[in-house]
Amino acid sequence: MAPIIDARTVYKTYEGGGLEVHALQGIDLAIEAGEMVAVMGPSGSGKTTLLNTFSGIDDISSGSVVIDGVSIHDLADRERTRYRALHMGFVFQSYNLLPVLSAEENVELPLLLAGVRQSVARGRAREMLALTGLADQARKRPNEMSGGQQQRVAVARALVNEPAIVWADEPTGALDSETGGQIMDLLCRLNEEHRQTFVLVTHDATVGGRAQRIVRMRDGLIESDERLAPVGDRFA
Amino acid sequence: MNSLFGIPINSVMVTLLAVFGLGVALTAFFALRSPVLFRMAVRNIPRRRAQTALIVAGLMLATLLFSASISTGDTLANSIRIQLLKGRGLVDEAITSSARDATGQPAGMDAGVVGRVKDALVDAPVDGVMGAYVLRAPVVAPTSQRNEPRVQVLGLDPASLSQGFEPLEDADGRVLDLAALAPGEVYLSADAAESLNAGPGDALAVFLAAQPTMLTVRGVLATRGNGIASMAAVARLEQVQTWAGAPGKVNRIFVSNDGGLVDGAEGTDAVEAALEPLVEELDLTVDPVKRDALTTADSAGAAFTSIFILFGNFSMIAGILLIFLIFVMLAAERKRELGIARAIGAQRGHIVRLFAFEGALYSLMAAAVGSLLGVVVGAVMVGVVASALGQVGLEVHFAFRWQSIVIAYSLGMAVTYVAVVGSSVRASVLNIVRAVRDLPEPAAHGAPLRALWREPWLTARRGLGQLARMRPGGLRVLTLGMVGAWMRLAGGLARGGYLLVVLGVLAVQAGLAGEQLGVFLLGLSLVAMGLPLVARHALRLPDRIAYTCAGVLVVALWILPWEPEDIGLPELSAGIEMFVLSGVMLVVGAVWVIVYNMHFLVEPLAWLLGRGRRLAPVVRTAVAYPMANRFRTGMTLAMFSLVVFTLTVVGFIIAAFSSAFEDTRTFSGGFDVSADVSFTNPIPDMAAALAAAPGIDTAQITAMGQVSGLPVRIVQDETENEPRDWFVTGVDAGYADAITYGFVLRADGYEDDAAVWRALREEPGTAVVASFIVPARSDFNVQVGGENFRLEGFYRDDPSLPEVYLTITEPTGGASTRLRVIGVLDEQAAFANTVVTAHETIAAIAPVQLPYLGYQFILDDPAQAPAFAEALEKGFVANGLRATDLAAEIREQSQLNITFNRLIQGFMGLGLVVGIAALGVIASRSVVERRTQIGVLRAVGFERVMLAGSFLIESSLVALLGILTGLALAFGLSVSIINSIGESFASVEYRVPWGTVLLVFGIAYGASMLMTLLPALQAARLYPAEALRFDE
Repeated sequence: MAPIIDARTVYKTYEGGGLEVHALQGIDLAIEAGEMVAVMGPSGSGKTTLLNTFSGIDDISSGSVVIDGVSIHDLADRERTRYRALHMGFVFQSYNLLPVLSAEENVELPLLLAGVRQSVARGRAREMLALTGLADQARKRPNEMSGGQQQRVAVARALVNEPAIVWADEPTGALDSETGGQIMDLLCRLNEEHRQTFVLVTHDATVGGRAQRIVRMRDGLIESDERLAPVGDRFA
Repeated sequence: MNSLFGIPINSVMVTLLAVFGLGVALTAFFALRSPVLFRMAVRNIPRRRAQTALIVAGLMLATLLFSASISTGDTLANSIRIQLLKGRGLVDEAITSSARDATGQPAGMDAGVVGRVKDALVDAPVDGVMGAYVLRAPVVAPTSQRNEPRVQVLGLDPASLSQGFEPLEDADGRVLDLAALAPGEVYLSADAAESLNAGPGDALAVFLAAQPTMLTVRGVLATRGNGIASMAAVARLEQVQTWAGAPGKVNRIFVSNDGGLVDGAEGTDAVEAALEPLVEELDLTVDPVKRDALTTADSAGAAFTSIFILFGNFSMIAGILLIFLIFVMLAAERKRELGIARAIGAQRGHIVRLFAFEGALYSLMAAAVGSLLGVVVGAVMVGVVASALGQVGLEVHFAFRWQSIVIAYSLGMAVTYVAVVGSSVRASVLNIVRAVRDLPEPAAHGAPLRALWREPWLTARRGLGQLARMRPGGLRVLTLGMVGAWMRLAGGLARGGYLLVVLGVLAVQAGLAGEQLGVFLLGLSLVAMGLPLVARHALRLPDRIAYTCAGVLVVALWILPWEPEDIGLPELSAGIEMFVLSGVMLVVGAVWVIVYNMHFLVEPLAWLLGRGRRLAPVVRTAVAYPMANRFRTGMTLAMFSLVVFTLTVVGFIIAAFSSAFEDTRTFSGGFDVSADVSFTNPIPDMAAALAAAPGIDTAQITAMGQVSGLPVRIVQDETENEPRDWFVTGVDAGYADAITYGFVLRADGYEDDAAVWRALREEPGTAVVASFIVPARSDFNVQVGGENFRLEGFYRDDPSLPEVYLTITEPTGGASTRLRVIGVLDEQAAFANTVVTAHETIAAIAPVQLPYLGYQFILDDPAQAPAFAEALEKGFVANGLRATDLAAEIREQSQLNITFNRLIQGFMGLGLVVGIAALGVIASRSVVERRTQIGVLRAVGFERVMLAGSFLIESSLVALLGILTGLALAFGLSVSIINSIGESFASVEYRVPWGTVLLVFGIAYGASMLMTLLPALQAARLYPAEALRFDE
């Protein structure tokens, strides 16, 4: 079976202030559908750049990233954005919810972007919030919720349109260990139930340990690629 | 212009400079004490150049408005000065006999008086004294067949002219020798020469009596001065004395003080003092013509400046809101760094200083740009004024003085800086943890009132305790600490609404005591705002309910047509300030209602627009931000609605008056043509003369009224006032029967307007007066010019006219009579004189037989008025008849008014810049502030065009809400305004100025969208990963 993410010799160089920073230096990585992969490494190793470039929210300098058969960087910005809306979900370290929208409004946003009718979108958003344990918080704004609750909303938002791939950048980075553990439980459960592909960027070994595969990075290169358990076995 | 709001300009300048200097000194003092803060402030300025440019543009508006207003006033004052000084030249005082001849002119004096005046002024700062004789007569130029009904025939003494007065010159600068004039020769003024189409060698027929005196033009004067009028023929003194039949007499003595054209007036006090004994002995009058001219010019200039500053108030208020908004947003932008600064030990005072330094630097730049740009705006406005005033013969000469620039700069700087410091204080209030973590601030409720009440006492106890222990900090606690504690208490009371209620009650009482409607309604508004806030504080009423109630009450108070008399209160006075007050209060009320209930308006709209599936997420995010940021949305709404409201109300007023002027007969009293003839050659029987005159078809005359006039001394009975020189008009039965002017007040017993006019001819000793000599409780006119004869003891907006009597005395014979005022004309009586009675009433006290000098005609076909007027002038050339097509005259006057109103409207439109700039500031700030959110939106699938669309819809929503609020308030209030004008100006109509509405809407909305487009595109161009990485 072809991998859902197939990256070949991906380079990414940032230029600024007369300096060049080689964030990715020829990355080759293939991820299969349904895998939960943790990308780990010290600060500046290129983890977040890998997530940004592989998900198409940033350009690459050279190489190719093929997502489910689509060369994401060959798409025009408009198509790439549309592709993200339909096939990807994102969870960020600092939740990055829209502060002016309520929890349910935040969650339904990707559905509206995908063209789902408002009434249907609202129903699905509520179902997703119930699934993440926030049914009673649906009308609250982010500033009325705790960090853990906000991250659950972010997870609900990432998964509401049933994306093939969920990208999570330090999903527990801003949370205490207990709340972080709960979020990871949630992600693992959803991965198991929905068989979606999760790519988690983290420097937290506990989070990494919950994944099926750990890709370690250093200086823009993959240092190691360790498969902890085959897909399916982990939840057997 | 020598004064502003009645205060001498130099005092204004010195005071403002002192305030400015104090501000600069304090800023410099604190900058030296906190150099790091000052350095931070300086370095913040170039961080975002585009934003700095927007801030400076927003801040400069107040200065620009001051500068434009003052430079317009300067120019008008200068133009009027030039106009008035032209005729006076070096003449500083004109001395006349206090006695009057039959024409109302000063009586002749023995020429020996000139010598006595010279003797009296031997030690005074005077360089010339000259006797003169002045006549007025119609003049006909037989060659061109043109005539001028009122030409000054001026006799000057050639010997005196060379001592302290200006020489007479022609257009080539050659001196025209007065002594060289042969008998029967005159020099003609340039205006008269042009009007009569006469030049050197041409003959003139001057009607000094029924038979003309034939004169010859020797030359044309290019210069005036020496008391020479615009339309004048100048001859040797003895020649004019001969024509007047008054050999050895003069009726004017001109005095030229030491000094030049303007500074000569400085010697007037000394001259008046030196002449005092002679004035008493010979019963003379000294007219300080130069000083009066300068005062008139300056007061007109100052009045125009005041008008523009008054109407500029709306824009200034909007500008202050913008300053506040800018600084609050600057604080939000730097919240994290301010939080860090506070965390490492910066006091709130440091934060205030940091912003105040930065604000001072912005203000210095903005005031400089604004004051100079204001001169440019002033020049443009003067261009418009020049084209309007060209129609009434005033040449406009642009002028501005360095004092004006200094005043505009200091005033603008002061207003801006006070607003900056106020907003800095607000910006300094932040929660350190929330600021550092960039979390939103919760709704501010402040400390509980109970704690705030205790604070002053606790502070006092702490201060006294420290003093008792000889600690130096005690004094500081007892001074600054106490001020702070009381201010916090006042703030708490204001937030709770208690302070508003107390201030409101005090204002209501003050308004009733001073009979001032504005103060009274302001007080009621404060109470209406305060009570729901008190309920919110004391009874835990939800914010939305409290602010909605307060807003609805305030709007209802100002927009509903009610009068204090309706609830048993006395009638209160109102002025033009009501316009500013009503605008501000209505906008405050409406904005409160809207921002607290926006979801009712916006959610259905969002639902409707969201039915298009691609639009749904765009609309959802676009409407969410304005609803979440109530403060910003409210401020922007207020700016837009305030300016749109005022522009539209002025549009309504212009439309109402335009509609009124469509029926010109309302203003002409039903007459179509007006004519007047010279006193020296009247027409004894006009009806017969018309029948005999060639080229005049009397069949087209439906009605004719005849008017006479008598110079009198007038005084209102039972007042302490001194009698004043005035002119009373007498009308015949034809006039009283035909006239259609109405009255705002009629005496008891006269059931309608026609009854008053009937009484004028049937009841000798009755009179009617013009509305402008009767004071009004609600007077929205701005007085330009000197003092008038005014009645007192009643108001023209009273329900009834009390018993009012005037005593008029003929000045030469001393005969007098009493007039009972039985009607006050309405404001549409444009061609009625100030005091109108029956011809027979004034003829009875006139020393000679009083002829009719004015004629009014109603024609069968009003369209024939121009041809009829022309035929009249041709038929009665010898009588110096000047005829006017009244409809054309009224239309011209109406056009002049409309031009001025449009100018004021355009000036007020500058305020739109504020609203547009505010949206620009908010949009560009939002791009920075929401960068991470933009990244998220792009990451989850927002396309670029959707993101740009979201920004544009957001700005659209705020701009549209602001514009529509302003329009709705204007449509509502204009009903009351037009009704109120209609009470004294019956023919005005409520007519929607669709042109203005669409123009204001188009400009405001279009410019707002253009202003937002750039930030919207900037947001759309952001790369998602770059935006997500963003950390300021």
